[in-house]
Amino acid sequence: MQELETVIALSRSQFAATALYHYLFVPLTLGLSVLLATMETIYVISGRPVYRQMTQFWSKLFAINFALGVATGLTMEFEFGTNWSTYSHFVGDIFGAPLAIEGLMAFFLESTMVGLMLFGWDKLSRGKHLLVTYMVALGSNLSALWILVANAYMQNPTGAEFNPETMRMELDSFTALFFSHDAQAKFVHTSVAGFVTAAIFVIGISAFYMLRRRHMAVAVRSFRVATLFGVFASIGVICLGDALGFINGEGQPSKLVAMEGLWETAEAPAGFNVVAWPDQESMENRFELQIPYVLTPLVTHTFDGTIVGANDLVSRAETRIRDGIPALVALERLSEDPDDRDALRQFRAHGDNLGHALLVKRYAPDVTQATPAQIEQAARDTIPPVAPVFWSFRIMVAAAFLMLGFLILATIYSLRGQIVDKRWFLKVAPWMIPVPFIANEAGWVVAELGRQPWTVYGQLPTWISASTHSVGYMIFSLVGFVALYTVFIIVEMFLMVKFIRKGPDDGPLPPPTESAVAAPGHTSQWSQA
Amino acid sequence: MKNVLLFAFWFLVGLIALFLAIVLGDSGAWYLAWVLGTVMMILIAVTGTVILEVDDQHND
Repeated sequence: MQELETVIALSRSQFAATALYHYLFVPLTLGLSVLLATMETIYVISGRPVYRQMTQFWSKLFAINFALGVATGLTMEFEFGTNWSTYSHFVGDIFGAPLAIEGLMAFFLESTMVGLMLFGWDKLSRGKHLLVTYMVALGSNLSALWILVANAYMQNPTGAEFNPETMRMELDSFTALFFSHDAQAKFVHTSVAGFVTAAIFVIGISAFYMLRRRHMAVAVRSFRVATLFGVFASIGVICLGDALGFINGEGQPSKLVAMEGLWETAEAPAGFNVVAWPDQESMENRFELQIPYVLTPLVTHTFDGTIVGANDLVSRAETRIRDGIPALVALERLSEDPDDRDALRQFRAHGDNLGHALLVKRYAPDVTQATPAQIEQAARDTIPPVAPVFWSFRIMVAAAFLMLGFLILATIYSLRGQIVDKRWFLKVAPWMIPVPFIANEAGWVVAELGRQPWTVYGQLPTWISASTHSVGYMIFSLVGFVALYTVFIIVEMFLMVKFIRKGPDDGPLPPPTESAVAAPGHTSQWSQA
Repeated sequence: MKNVLLFAFWFLVGLIALFLAIVLGDSGAWYLAWVLGTVMMILIAVTGTVILEVDDQHND
């Protein structure tokens, strides 16, 4: 049992490490692809070659990031099979379709179009190249959509039912899966967070150039596009984050109590814990600083709602564990005799709480012999690690508001044409580049650590989901992945810095090609510049 | 002929947009919000930049 616990911990660490590494690349791809399409649209409308230079420069940085994002993402899909085989067997029917579509989007639509976007400037007309760039943006975001649909199932399972004959979940409504509230809110929040990441990335690098009076034509214009794009995206990401929190509150109350450090059920009007020191063992906060009245409207979107606390959730979990034990017993009988009708009847009566019964099997292999203490321990396990989730959530929110303030200021300076003279702001801007990346990583920590102890919320516990590898194998592969991915990060940073130092091509502006000449009636005063 | 084809193309785009709005508006409101919001962000960034470009030219 001790070895199993170690293997599970190592499997979790490996997936967390590869996911966090991978997610250093993804948001920039999501956002920069859309920002590239925006820049190129301006080029096509205005005809000014400086916008072509701009798009080509940022395309280079996009390409570096995209390649490493794809490379790091591939291993994660294999990990489902290698390290999480029980999980893959349990939800393969549901997970398979979105992952396959994601693969099609990422490798066929996105990757094919990336090639055309990077190398097709002199081979395609302006309109066709613009269409290709939009396809890259659409492909990268649709690719994210499908992986998030799959992830949303793990957070709030809908559209599938457990089949006791095959011992696995089976999809019964693809539309319920695709249109689940969690999938929708998670996609829009994640995608728009990528937009903010890209905007701050472009702003930071443009500010770096302006500070040194280099590549001014591209830098000033890139800054403008990114601020106008980013300021609305940052407003959007905060609103969508609130929506996702509200949906989580309904679907995953244990994640909500961890995010808010809420141990006791709170009647309206509840206060919001700005800072707290949660103690998981005693199930209370050792210290807390609250803003009164804020939590109830924030979480319930009403002024009189009640928020159930961790202690009450544990009591409910105990009831569900006790109710689920007959389902697990019936399932064991069905595995021996699939025609046992009594067992099937028993399973159908208690099947909703099968997942909770599996929690207690960790402590009592024969669940019928589970003691009250073991049931209580299993029930306490339903509350995720509160302190890391609580603080990750606050880091994410603080970063979001910092970025909003930064982008508002950037927009004001940009619209007033003062940005070149605001040297203090230009000095600060490059240091803002890590902020969205920190926020993105913190957001995923909240989402995934907050889902514990489940791989599929309420249905499949994490402890039962992993493959039965040896500890040595897991340590070897974990060290290998961390070393390889660290090399990837170093390569990415090296290439990024190299191309940023080089900057956009400041040579003579390319003459308009025959295909790039604006059609009569579309020629504007900027097209001659 | 070119104008007719262009009209037909944008008419088709409009129909698809309407269809998506009806389907997504009912069951996929957040997806629809993403489509509209992303288009709006692009449009605002594009028009804002072009307007500032004109301003710069006038000032010069």
